[in-house]
Amino acid sequence: MFRDSIALIVLLGVVFIANGAQANQAYWDVQSGSLMGLAHGSLGYSFNDAHDVSIGIGYVPDLDNHREMTLYSVRYQYQGDTVFNVIPSVAWQPFRFGFGVLIAGHDDLFVELPDQYPDGYYTPTAVRLVFNYQSVFKLTDTTEAYFDISILDVGLLTYVREPEFFQDNYEFFGLEGITNWGFGVRHQF
Amino acid sequence: MKIKLFIALFLPAVLAACQYEISPWQTDAYCPGVSVEENLARLRALEAEVGDVNFYQVAIVSDPQQYPGSFEDAIDRINQLDNVHLTLLVGDLAQTGIKAEFEWVCKVMAKSKAPIFPVIGNHDGLSFGEEIWLDIFGPLDYSFTYQNTKFIAYNDNKYEFENVPDRGWLAEEAAVATGETRVHTIGFSHIAPWKDDTGFSEFLQDSGFDLMIHGHEHNFDFWHLFDVDLDHYIAPETRYQEFGLLSVYPDSLVLQNCDPECAPASPRARSL
Repeated sequence: MFRDSIALIVLLGVVFIANGAQANQAYWDVQSGSLMGLAHGSLGYSFNDAHDVSIGIGYVPDLDNHREMTLYSVRYQYQGDTVFNVIPSVAWQPFRFGFGVLIAGHDDLFVELPDQYPDGYYTPTAVRLVFNYQSVFKLTDTTEAYFDISILDVGLLTYVREPEFFQDNYEFFGLEGITNWGFGVRHQF
Repeated sequence: MKIKLFIALFLPAVLAACQYEISPWQTDAYCPGVSVEENLARLRALEAEVGDVNFYQVAIVSDPQQYPGSFEDAIDRINQLDNVHLTLLVGDLAQTGIKAEFEWVCKVMAKSKAPIFPVIGNHDGLSFGEEIWLDIFGPLDYSFTYQNTKFIAYNDNKYEFENVPDRGWLAEEAAVATGETRVHTIGFSHIAPWKDDTGFSEFLQDSGFDLMIHGHEHNFDFWHLFDVDLDHYIAPETRYQEFGLLSVYPDSLVLQNCDPECAPASPRARSL
């Protein structure tokens, strides 16, 4: 039932954002990796030239190291105003940070605790918080490509609790132990 | 502006260290050298090296979930104990059963000087944890013998798995084979006998177990039921570098609570 609700919210969001496209601040986004799925399509809306909200659906096929599943996301990102002109036709915007909720659709993961468990026994295994950073290259006025680095909720929490463990065991101040990368492209309507 | 440029260059540089992960629920955890099979090979080599001994110790750690640094500190302390020949890790390596959590703990397990043998906990069974466990460690139930003492690891996480614990298998493993020399029979699982599992401690005693070792409760405990002469030792979480220490003699098993200084532990009698 919860997944049906998510699908409905995503559909409503698509309608809302598509209507917002008339203001030329709506965009679509396609990303791969960085915990969002093999492919993850989003519809988003920018406001005040700095704040982005998006909803999306991702997919992972059945792989040797992954079960087939659908991923749903709701994300917020803040776009910093720092720009470097690396070459005349490409602007580099290196400061874009955000967070989002990632929800997995798979029978072995749950949003609502199954009946076999006592109340409050576990937090939902299908729901994760993802924090991310993007380094964005504006290819045209309406199209940009980016690299994305993400940190999962438990990674951030564990790093804050015990930074020495990660610094002693992983590269780049221990960030290697908690970060993941991906890439994508974004286009304004 | 220079600071902004530095930060702008540093953050993307982290890309060099990142992994390309499709989702948090990937099952290909990278855990070299920590499988039960590999640790058994290390134990065999140790036994060949030391020969027959009349005394050795077994370290007992549990529930490192979410605190891999503290777990590492506990293993560092255990590594300084010359008489520890093996370590038992009695479950809950992960909190939500995902790849990243297992990999952090595997990093620490690989640093254990003594062979380290894990048993699956309830949290390890969440998400696709069972699949990850089978891939990096091996079977959920297994046994081995060291210095004529048989150690039997078993899955008893009833909410996450069906038809556990496997009583028939436990009885078979605990039975002494014809011609076998057996000094002690020690069972280890994540959870001590459940309140509604009346008769299980007695079943284990009747099967021939001499001592049971568990985790799950995050605190030291040591007890036997009023009418059952089988001790159950509970190891605490490693969050505060606490662990148990079992001294194995030919005719006795002696337990200590190490927090981290070690002091004798005595079982209390209780009802289930």
